Amino acid sequence: MSDCRSLGDCDDSRMVRIYEYLDGALSCDDLAEIKQHLDGCPDCAQDYDLECVIRTVVRRSCKEAAPENLKAAILERIHGSRAAQV
Amino acid sequence: MSTLLLAAPPTVGLWQGPIRQTTAQPVPVDLALMNSTEHADTLATGDDAETAPELTPAQLAEGSVDVATETAAARRIRFERDAMQYVDQLYSAAMRMARNPSDAEDLVQEAYTKAFSAFHQYRPGTNLKAWLYRILTNTYINLYRKRQREPLQSNSDQVEDWQLARAESHTSRGLRSAEAEAMDHLPDNDVKRALQSIPEEFRLAVYFADVEGFAYKEISEIMNTPIGTVMSRLHRGRKLLRDMLADYAQERGFRANGPDSAGKTATADAQSANTVAASPAVAPVNTVSGTGSNDQEKSK
Repeated sequence: MSDCRSLGDCDDSRMVRIYEYLDGALSCDDLAEIKQHLDGCPDCAQDYDLECVIRTVVRRSCKEAAPENLKAAILERIHGSRAAQV
Repeated sequence: MSTLLLAAPPTVGLWQGPIRQTTAQPVPVDLALMNSTEHADTLATGDDAETAPELTPAQLAEGSVDVATETAAARRIRFERDAMQYVDQLYSAAMRMARNPSDAEDLVQEAYTKAFSAFHQYRPGTNLKAWLYRILTNTYINLYRKRQREPLQSNSDQVEDWQLARAESHTSRGLRSAEAEAMDHLPDNDVKRALQSIPEEFRLAVYFADVEGFAYKEISEIMNTPIGTVMSRLHRGRKLLRDMLADYAQERGFRANGPDSAGKTATADAQSANTVAASPAVAPVNTVSGTGSNDQEKSK
């Protein structure tokens, strides 16, 4: 994968860079470098796209609404614990 | 014997938060044993402060409250205003920890009760959501999970090797666009199942990063692990998740249209037309019984 050398010389380190990019964990210099690389490397761009899709899908799927009575039950316990303390 | 994958010690230090704390009161508090710790109430708060003057609404605003002189009533109001807005989010996270809605509800209730008891130790202006997540995670480890008799994923390293071997097969070039397209159409239950099937400490790291958007440092504080460990868990967890989702996408028979994908997806399509159950993706993840000897993270 010589064309991806700037991101790392194995698949692992290449993906680490892509993850860091997605996580907002790169310095400005690194950020510019990986952006430039993704623009010119279809393979890495595809990996990047896939990770973006996974994030979106996981976020969408994991969004749950708490049962209606949960908030009330919590407040009841909190008020109860306060009453016990006072 | 089951292993404690999250490897968190039973005690929890005072939350430092991603933002520098504003006052220096490093009193260690055991959140899990809050009711039995004698030093939990050593800070000048709570009932002792009942006679302190009431805070104005302006003083109650985020960051300006003086936790040392705040009355119990004012603290309760502040807690309800600031912390209760995260109930849905904590419940969603609890659903990734516990295995059913009832346990998730108990977990969130317990975490909120602890959070309220410890709220005088939370530094206004630091990340409240991360603070709550840390309490939730610790509650899960220290209380809820002890009650579970079943071991969870018992030996992550072996599971991981087994799954990563397959994960590599998905990294071949040319499949990605089609895979991304297919994954985008997966039903929520498939995605939840895929997430649930990866080892717990990887799953939670991925959840905290990808769903909640916590930074590495915040996750390291929530999970009480070094940042390097967080990054490693994220890396492995994401690979496993990608692999699982790719398998589910193929099971569902989503057809890859790319010219490079003919060989792999033709087989997958043929299989998925007949059976879902035969796919390796639905094989039990925790088939390896836990000796736990080679989890380097536990030994720290």
